[in-house]
Amino acid sequence: MDRRVAVGILVAVFVGAIALVGIAFANGAADAGALAVRDPCEPRGAFPGQGLDATLQRLVLDGLDGAACELGATREELVLSLSPRSNADIPWDDETIERALRAGLLGAIDDAEQRGSLNGVVAAILRPIVERAPVQWLIDGGQGIAGLFD
Amino acid sequence: MSARSLVVAAIAVAVAVAFADSSIVVLALPELYGTFDTTIEGVAWVITSYNLVLAASALLLVFVVHRVRANVLLAAGSVVFLGASIACALANSIGFLIAARSVQGLGGALLLTGSLPVLAAFAGSNARGVAIWTAAGTLGAGMGPALGGILTQAFDWRAIFVAQAPVAGLALLGAVGSHVSAILEEGWTSGLRRTLPANGALALVSGALVGALFLGVVLVIDVFGLSPIAGAAVVSAIPVATLLARPVAAALPMPLAAGAGALMLASGLIGLAFLPSSELAYAIASFALCGFGLGLSVPGLSHAVLGGQGTGRKATFTVGVRHLGLVLALAVIAPLLTDDLFEAAEVAELNATAVIIDGEISATTKIPLALDIRDTIDRVPEGEIPDFTAVFEEHGSRTETSVRTVQDELVAAIEQAVTRGFRSSFQFCALLAALAVIPVAAFRRRLA
Repeated sequence: MDRRVAVGILVAVFVGAIALVGIAFANGAADAGALAVRDPCEPRGAFPGQGLDATLQRLVLDGLDGAACELGATREELVLSLSPRSNADIPWDDETIERALRAGLLGAIDDAEQRGSLNGVVAAILRPIVERAPVQWLIDGGQGIAGLFD
Repeated sequence: MSARSLVVAAIAVAVAVAFADSSIVVLALPELYGTFDTTIEGVAWVITSYNLVLAASALLLVFVVHRVRANVLLAAGSVVFLGASIACALANSIGFLIAARSVQGLGGALLLTGSLPVLAAFAGSNARGVAIWTAAGTLGAGMGPALGGILTQAFDWRAIFVAQAPVAGLALLGAVGSHVSAILEEGWTSGLRRTLPANGALALVSGALVGALFLGVVLVIDVFGLSPIAGAAVVSAIPVATLLARPVAAALPMPLAAGAGALMLASGLIGLAFLPSSELAYAIASFALCGFGLGLSVPGLSHAVLGGQGTGRKATFTVGVRHLGLVLALAVIAPLLTDDLFEAAEVAELNATAVIIDGEISATTKIPLALDIRDTIDRVPEGEIPDFTAVFEEHGSRTETSVRTVQDELVAAIEQAVTRGFRSSFQFCALLAALAVIPVAAFRRRLA
């Protein structure tokens, strides 16, 4: 092979290598796989959809955000800490989690009512449920929430 | 084909296999882990023991190799390699397998040490012998994982060692049929010292290859979930590109080819460090860059090391140095990767939880699905990535697009987080490859 051809191939492969890395970065390589959980204290878009299911999910998700914000954790860390088999490092006791969850859910009901996305009558029914709901079920693995939706 | 050519081919294949053995069991590691009652560290010693013993044996042989006839070394190496390969295939405990792999490393060192002078005698010239030995070694090193993957899936991990036995037997026949005398070597100061820049670069390149041949293979099999044969097909981009690079390397001045090859290897490893997704096109292109870099750098550096008189001792020294580079890189990467993957598992758990929580599916599907996912994770052995296909199918992924979307996002979140766990190790390997440019540039006149 002629040396000029070899140098040409070398240059072409180097250009290809730079292009490969450039395309990878343009497609999000730098952030791929990084922690992608949001700050629960910052507002985020509401869970989409209509009907009872979507409304209840919005309430629960907003409630989890409020509870996580109060605990200084992420929503995901809080949810994982609710599982008795979780390997997550849980810095809170059950009472602290329960108190934060109740406060978060009550705050979510208040917000939903103020936004007009939750009927005042339904909000009035939900408040005592949240105040007295068996939050221990959540701590035992989320079975309680499943029961609420069934 | 003449009998002489057949002997040359047999010895060249044995050289390729001895180099390939550094990485040939990488794709069999999950099967070995499942076969024996062992830890991940225990399985890793199946690789490390071979390379460590080979490096140590070769470096010790440097001091005695000139006193022994090359064909005797080749015969002894072939016998030890053959016996150890059979022992590996019959191993019924991880301890026995590691011991047999250590003996195989000793056989590999003897075989590689004796093979070059014998190849040179049969090929008709020292230069031709060096060319065949170098080509076989380079291609063998690149083909290791692919060969092992195909044999593991087609048969099982024992087939890797069964297949090596006849190769060593053929090399033994070649050794018996030759009468190559040992050549009195020049002393250490004027001989091996001159090879240090090229050997230093080769050691760094060998260390960098841990990224492509070990980490890259584990990534596509264990993280992307490819079968060993599919993984072998992806990784075969390395030897294919290595072959394509050979005429280019031959047409360029050696320092330019070696330096450019090292940089190309580094760029391929950077490509593997920054994969944006588990799309195979990125991985294949990165593996191809690694292979092209290997094909550009290693043959020229090997020729620089093995040129002139005393090729037997020089070959022994370079075999030791190359495998030492590989072992040292493994020693750094193993704890680095372990720490990073531990952290990546935590990130994967949090990101996957976010996907489930935010998944746009009904709560009556979401909550039982989340509980079943948790149970699936609990059942998977430590270190393995769970397969959620069955769980999602139970909850309607075949019929409901929204469930399927959550499944895809969940799998991507986990794969990407774990893939990122390999990033520092790939970057370390890329650094080793880039560092290889320094001795090449500093001693370019001596290497030219």
